[in-house]
Amino acid sequence: MIEERQLTLIMENKPGALVRVVGLFHQRGYNIESLHVEPINNFKPYKFIEDELDTKFSEGEISRLEIKTTVDDPLMRQILRQINKLIDVIAVSGNEGTYLKGVLRDENLL
Amino acid sequence: MKLAGNDILIQSLIKEGVEYIFGYPGGASLHIYDAIFKQKEMQHILVRHEQGATHAADGYARATGKPGVVMLTSGPGATNAITGIATAFMDSIPMIVISGQVQSHLIGTDAFQETDMIGVSRPVVKHSFTVDHQSNIAKIIKEAFYIATSGRQGPVVIDVPKDLTNPVDLFEYKYPSEVNIRSYNPPIKPEDSQIDRAIEAIINSKQPVIYAGGGTISSNASKELFELNSYMNAPITNTLMGLGVYPASDKNFLGMLGMHGTYQANMAMHHADLIIAIGARFDDRITNTPEKFAPNAQIIHFDVDHSSVSKIIEADIAVFGQVKDSLQAINSKLRSRLSEINDSRLDAWHKQIAEWKEMHGLDHDLYKNNSDDGPILPQAVVQHIYHASNGNAFVTSDVGQHQMFAAQYYHFDEPRKWINSGGLGTMGFGLPAAMGVKLAYPDEEVICITGEGSIQMCIQELSTCTQYKLPIKIFNINNLALGMVKQWQDMNYDGRHSSISYEDSLPDFTKLAESYGHVGIKITKNSQLKSGIEEAMSIKDKLVFVDIYVDPNEHVYPMLVAPDGSLKDMWLGKGEKT
Repeated sequence: MIEERQLTLIMENKPGALVRVVGLFHQRGYNIESLHVEPINNFKPYKFIEDELDTKFSEGEISRLEIKTTVDDPLMRQILRQINKLIDVIAVSGNEGTYLKGVLRDENLL
Repeated sequence: MKLAGNDILIQSLIKEGVEYIFGYPGGASLHIYDAIFKQKEMQHILVRHEQGATHAADGYARATGKPGVVMLTSGPGATNAITGIATAFMDSIPMIVISGQVQSHLIGTDAFQETDMIGVSRPVVKHSFTVDHQSNIAKIIKEAFYIATSGRQGPVVIDVPKDLTNPVDLFEYKYPSEVNIRSYNPPIKPEDSQIDRAIEAIINSKQPVIYAGGGTISSNASKELFELNSYMNAPITNTLMGLGVYPASDKNFLGMLGMHGTYQANMAMHHADLIIAIGARFDDRITNTPEKFAPNAQIIHFDVDHSSVSKIIEADIAVFGQVKDSLQAINSKLRSRLSEINDSRLDAWHKQIAEWKEMHGLDHDLYKNNSDDGPILPQAVVQHIYHASNGNAFVTSDVGQHQMFAAQYYHFDEPRKWINSGGLGTMGFGLPAAMGVKLAYPDEEVICITGEGSIQMCIQELSTCTQYKLPIKIFNINNLALGMVKQWQDMNYDGRHSSISYEDSLPDFTKLAESYGHVGIKITKNSQLKSGIEEAMSIKDKLVFVDIYVDPNEHVYPMLVAPDGSLKDMWLGKGEKT
């Protein structure tokens, strides 16, 4: 079903990280309807990512990026997988709230 | 140990086991070249154009499985390399590209030879790094090699501002022994449940086809693939990128599939009840119209890249992970269930395929007719090359008709022997790629099958071959025109040959080769073909450029009918359709 969806990305706050995400949307012909990005300082909601990756986030190190796009299910899945391949992306979620880490673990596989 | 940035960079490359750097120096990379000068472990190969450097590194990587390394200067040096980086990216070839950059304080000022290399290359790299401090160089190199060679492989660019390689400032250097990137962790284990489902599907199939691509080669899984099919005894086809991963001489091999695939391979795919895709990505040159692709087939897809699965064709069973690991997993389970595989279950299927092959299979005996003085068939040229090289040469190619003829008529029995630009389709790839292969395997026969259009796109590298004494064999299938474009114009534009001809302005390629110190052989008659090719193959110490004038009116067949065709819709000859 084609509908507006929000993607949330947790990524390394590195130069060029944002443009890789935006560039991916352009390159693959996906549309961006809105975009918001800011550094994260409260890591509490992301503790499960820290646990999963056996790491500790510190201040200024990671950003949260929100993108709205209007797509159908298969394309949403494809976008999630393409974003997940970007090296600076630590996690990405769709509407259903499932986080994927940078490793290839997809709970809505097929 | 304290070292300057330029030495840290070069010492790190040595630590990674780099043998050859393909490159071209310039202002922004002067400090780096000074560090190259001071060491003996690696050899720098000075190409004549940066595109040649990337293709040479690419050819080296495809032949060896090790990453190719490229050294560029800023600005035009960097942008000249883009085509070669994109070529490697499309075919998932590991490559490290180091580009000099203007000094840090000049970035963004439109300085002399400044280009935003990270920005320009971004869509065609797996990842890229900008060096921000000398003390990070070693870590960046380590990460770059790890990223380029793991998961789905690909090129990585490292942009290095000139001031950070200056020989004056010294920094502590220790090459990291481990690499850990928290947002990147590609090795994944195939899931047992998916393997079990795949085995059920295999046991129950009556018309299976294995469709194996370049990912099977990247993963060095040809043995595992062969083992799998020793249990399955299924017909198997390879993509253009996968040729050689399964022995072409095996009775179950159908030949290549897709746009110019064999009749039997395309028919088998279309009529299959089970397609086992292994390290292949359902490219548009394979599927034809996706909605009409293999209407009755269940799809099992083995791939290391999540995003390749169900991108074009929905997979029913997906096995993620390195293809080698996944095949080992399925093989070990299948071994204990061999009694469930009925040996005669595929008899009717094999019989049907044999009939297809008999009806419209390729004629591999064209080379036997070499007595008359009629036009030379390009297909026969490849067949002669195949026999004269005993079928075990490394063969690089460019792009167009000659590439398809090479893929159709040179039977590759081993992986990494067929080196061509499949995804991007880059003319100019063949000669520099052959240089990379020859450097990696100096004692092996390395052949470049090219055309008079493609060879001129990187022909400057003939000079590099002289400098480094690279006795490559170049077979120029010369049809006096851009043959594949001409074929499309014949078939789709009523023969209006728009901008495909340069007949009166071609160089005498043999004289051109001779002017670089190479040997030139010209073949214009069918009766000269066999002896000319054999003469070329007998010359071991010199590059031989064989210019072969072929029938300019030949087309490549089969050819899928497009648009709106399925895999069973093929042109089989001029005006002859399935």
